[in-house]
Amino acid sequence: MRQKILNALIGIVVALLLGAVLLLLQGYDPLATYEALFRYSLFGYYPFATTLRNAAPLVLPGLSAAIAFASGVVNLGQPGQLVMGALFATVGGLYLDLPPALMIPVLALLSMLGGLLWAGVAALLRRFFDMSEFIVTLMLNMIADFFTAWAITEPFKDPAAFSPMTPQINPNGWLPKWGEFNTMILFMFAAVILAWFVFNRWKAGYEWRITGQNALFARLGGCNINRNFMAVMLMTGALAGLAGGLVVMGGPHRFIRGLGANYAWDGVMIAIVANNGLIATFLYGLFFSAIQTGALGMELITSVPNEISQVLQAVLVLVIVASREYLNTFVEQRAARRRAREART
Amino acid sequence: MKILIGLINGMISGATPILLAALGGAYTYYAGVFNIAMEGMLLTGAFFAVLGSYYTGSWLIGVLLAILGALFLSLIFILFAVVLKTDEFVTGIALSLFAVGATTYMLRKIFSVKGVFSNPAIQPIPAIRLPLAENIPFVGEILSGQNLMVWVAGLATILTYFLIFQTRFGLRLRAAGYNPARLDSSGVPSSRMRALSLLACGVLCGLGGSFLSLGYVNLFAENMSAGRGWISLAAIILVNGNPLGIALISLLFGFSDGLGLLLQGYRVPSQFTAMVPYIATLIALYFYAARKRRLNSA
Amino acid sequence: MINNPTLIEMRHIVKVYPPSVLALDDVTVDFRRGEIHSIVGENGAGKSTLMKVLYGLTQANSGEIIYKGEPVHFREPGEAIAAGIGMVHQEIVLIPEYTVWENIVLGVEPVNWLGKIDRQRARQLVKQKIDEFQFNLDPDARVESISVAARQKVEILTLLYRNVEVLILDEPTAVLTPQEIPQLFAELNRLRDGGHTILFISHRLEEVLELSDRITVMRKGKKVDTVPASATTRQELARMMVGRDVIFTTRRKPQPPGEAVLRVENLSLREDHGRVRLNNLNFEVRAGEIVGVAGVEGNGQFELVNTLMGIQKPTSGRIFIRNVDITHFDILQRRQYISFVPQDRGKMGASLVAPLWEDAIMTHHRLNPRFSQWNGLLLNTRFAQQFTRDLIENFSVVAPSPRAHFRTLSGGNQQKVIVGRELLLQSDFVLLDQPTRGLDVGSMEYIHDQILRIRAEGRAVLMISADLEEIFLLSDRILVLYRGQLVGNLPVEQTNPQEVGSLMLEGQVQSS
Repeated sequence: MRQKILNALIGIVVALLLGAVLLLLQGYDPLATYEALFRYSLFGYYPFATTLRNAAPLVLPGLSAAIAFASGVVNLGQPGQLVMGALFATVGGLYLDLPPALMIPVLALLSMLGGLLWAGVAALLRRFFDMSEFIVTLMLNMIADFFTAWAITEPFKDPAAFSPMTPQINPNGWLPKWGEFNTMILFMFAAVILAWFVFNRWKAGYEWRITGQNALFARLGGCNINRNFMAVMLMTGALAGLAGGLVVMGGPHRFIRGLGANYAWDGVMIAIVANNGLIATFLYGLFFSAIQTGALGMELITSVPNEISQVLQAVLVLVIVASREYLNTFVEQRAARRRAREART
Repeated sequence: MKILIGLINGMISGATPILLAALGGAYTYYAGVFNIAMEGMLLTGAFFAVLGSYYTGSWLIGVLLAILGALFLSLIFILFAVVLKTDEFVTGIALSLFAVGATTYMLRKIFSVKGVFSNPAIQPIPAIRLPLAENIPFVGEILSGQNLMVWVAGLATILTYFLIFQTRFGLRLRAAGYNPARLDSSGVPSSRMRALSLLACGVLCGLGGSFLSLGYVNLFAENMSAGRGWISLAAIILVNGNPLGIALISLLFGFSDGLGLLLQGYRVPSQFTAMVPYIATLIALYFYAARKRRLNSA
Repeated sequence: MINNPTLIEMRHIVKVYPPSVLALDDVTVDFRRGEIHSIVGENGAGKSTLMKVLYGLTQANSGEIIYKGEPVHFREPGEAIAAGIGMVHQEIVLIPEYTVWENIVLGVEPVNWLGKIDRQRARQLVKQKIDEFQFNLDPDARVESISVAARQKVEILTLLYRNVEVLILDEPTAVLTPQEIPQLFAELNRLRDGGHTILFISHRLEEVLELSDRITVMRKGKKVDTVPASATTRQELARMMVGRDVIFTTRRKPQPPGEAVLRVENLSLREDHGRVRLNNLNFEVRAGEIVGVAGVEGNGQFELVNTLMGIQKPTSGRIFIRNVDITHFDILQRRQYISFVPQDRGKMGASLVAPLWEDAIMTHHRLNPRFSQWNGLLLNTRFAQQFTRDLIENFSVVAPSPRAHFRTLSGGNQQKVIVGRELLLQSDFVLLDQPTRGLDVGSMEYIHDQILRIRAEGRAVLMISADLEEIFLLSDRILVLYRGQLVGNLPVEQTNPQEVGSLMLEGQVQSS
């Protein structure tokens, strides 16, 4: 545990240093840039609330990827599952009329259904035709992208809009804000807690974890690999779908082009840097959200394009993951040298 | 007849970037590297090609810069996956995402646009006319007028086949994939072969990327590699890395690309026609998996 | 030979494997030119590590090596080979897809100006070497199609091709049948007479006494002594190796078996492309009986285990346990009747990265309702921890706590956890695949005791082992697998290792 925190800190420091070098090379002032970055994300009631809110669509796909990878399921379809979830929630929000207390949960469930079904396609193809879910989910991402583009251009188009998008959904489906805090974050916390509980306390979660670590051992031990695979695909699809639904319900209240695509890939990266740990995914999700949220405000002040946040994120991931191995080896080799010294005397 | 020629031309154009990326990936496949960074390398190549061509007015500089750009990614991959022994899957994904972010960032920073950068000053890679062959019906019409990069891709296929199966380099490359411990014990570090394979991949993906932005069309768009890196990965897996097989599969995927364009003429919405290559990949994967199951089952 | 000059000296070698495993504890030893020098010790004594340090596969923490009078330090095997020292590993590391000549010339390929390999020349050079040393090899054969003994020769030839003078062999007889060993020894003697120096790592004392000029004994990372082979005995070597007197006779008491527990009828497995893996097997294992399965690896043991466990479906035949037809049962259903200790701990027996308790409760979590809470959904972690603590105590596992990571345990303790977990299932039928491979003598004896205990309790045991000594030590009956067929079903008193070796290698007994 201590090593994990140390690893994270070293990674963050090194990544920030590298980022500073990149900024300097382009003539920006790194200190001012970072100062603005963190001021606009963490220091203050409004920035903090915004960071939390922006973390939800990052943490949910992150949990999806983390659970999948830790269970040996290569679900890289979060982008597609997310937009399908968003589409389902949008369509539901356009045609259903229920009081808010019902509307919101129903739309949330619809978005989970959308993600679940889309992941289900990949799961079935794997289960019955042995097609690697790695490639299938990647292809399905592109297909989902095009499909939703068509959906908002033809059948569900808002006739009054200039660019392709749906009309706004029924206001009963809009996620309310409590003060500055968007209720989206409730879903995020609920998802983290539930995911942790299922993964670590349920028998199914135990089997998923062991399968991810050594599938043959799990199989020989009597675990039903096929059923577990399906369950993980469906559940992680639902998580990604939920993210899509929340983006629609808590954000623009309609499906617009380019909604949420990056969130899903960022979520995958977060899971990777968190080494598939669920709590770590949550924390890194918050951190990445801080970087992204702060970058928008930072751009106003320092005119550094906010896309720098994506570069910083990738550097962070690479550095933390690389140093993880290194730190392990370093610690072990130091212990080895000590033992050798004892043997000599 | 015109339609057929159009289809074939479309097939060749569509196949070229996939073929080049897949050939690059073949080197890493044989060397035992789990390389999923082709998508990022293609995109980086496409961006730098436009950068070079725009600022110097020379498509050749654009192509060279594209190669350098993709090689930069290769070097990062080598640093993390080969030297620091970071997990290859993670490195590949991180690099592809890094490429998307970095190219989008540079698009905004350098060209001050979002989405697409298009400008008449961008010099495209020229097409090659074959005046002697031009008049041969059908075959001549196809052979003449193809982009230079198409010929490069064809040459690369033959060269790759030769390198991998006939030379000492190839023997060692494949040994690194089959049994790296054995190669190490013979005095040749398998890490060296892995690094070389990644460099080869960078060069080829750089060429492929330059075709995307300087041959196919004449612009750079955010994320314009559009999953072709993933398709080339599928291509490699489907034929177990064989360069000749890769060429065939790439033509198949290129064909599905062209088919999509054809379908647009029949009033199929453009979004659905764009799906065709990806659905084609799924279909190819179905047959691959079915065949593998038949071979393995008891 | 005994008075030849010293060729290699290793002085005060210390090696620690991170984080704190002391593999070599201040070892000083010397090797003479033109001798066959064996290094013996039980698993984990450090004999392999010592040679790996010499060969450059790993670096010592301190100490020095003098070769031909000069201090040397090989940072990697390539340097050692260039200096004339080569090593043949225990697991044969060839490239199965390549031919014999391709494997041998890899790294020193003859090429033309383009970099293209000159195949003619390569084959010619390899053929020359084959004839020079009288090895019986076909340069164009693909390695995956030749026998294990032949592959070993390819490994040796690869080194001779590079003109090494010192050959290090790590447990070479572990993969050979009794019939193939004399041929290897003849070759080694020929090489020694030709001026080569052979360093021979083994734990098989009879062979070592037959082959060597001098023997060095190692125990727990220290060198115990170096003695001429002619001046010592098996008993004495064993005592030096283990530190106490070792019993070489069986502790198995004759016991009449009960009724059949496992019954295999006409079991066959034919793969899609025609290859027959199991050919009409018929046998039984009765209660209170240990049946040992001998055979060269690759003759059907793998498929036998897979069909018994349910990983592979047989083409025909049936499997019964206590007259219940389990042929079409899925794995979980079978686990109600079968305990299984697999061949490879890391690949099939446990999850190395998990904490100990998660590995200990596998299968129990499904079969034992005390592990469930809340209508079967939740895992009762408290009971799981207690179960693991009991297992640790009852099976003498050395581990700090149930939460310790499995990977931090020694090989012997890991195997004890797996054996304990499986035996605690209390199944009528126990399937063991190489149960003591790679373990130190202490763990080996402990597990043998456990196997004999469950035999005394009346359970039926089927044990697959490559160690003929272990088979003869424990089995009541011996089955021999040859090309998927049962070519021998012999009570242990009515046979001997030579006969079994013949059956393993040729499928029939050699009439001498």
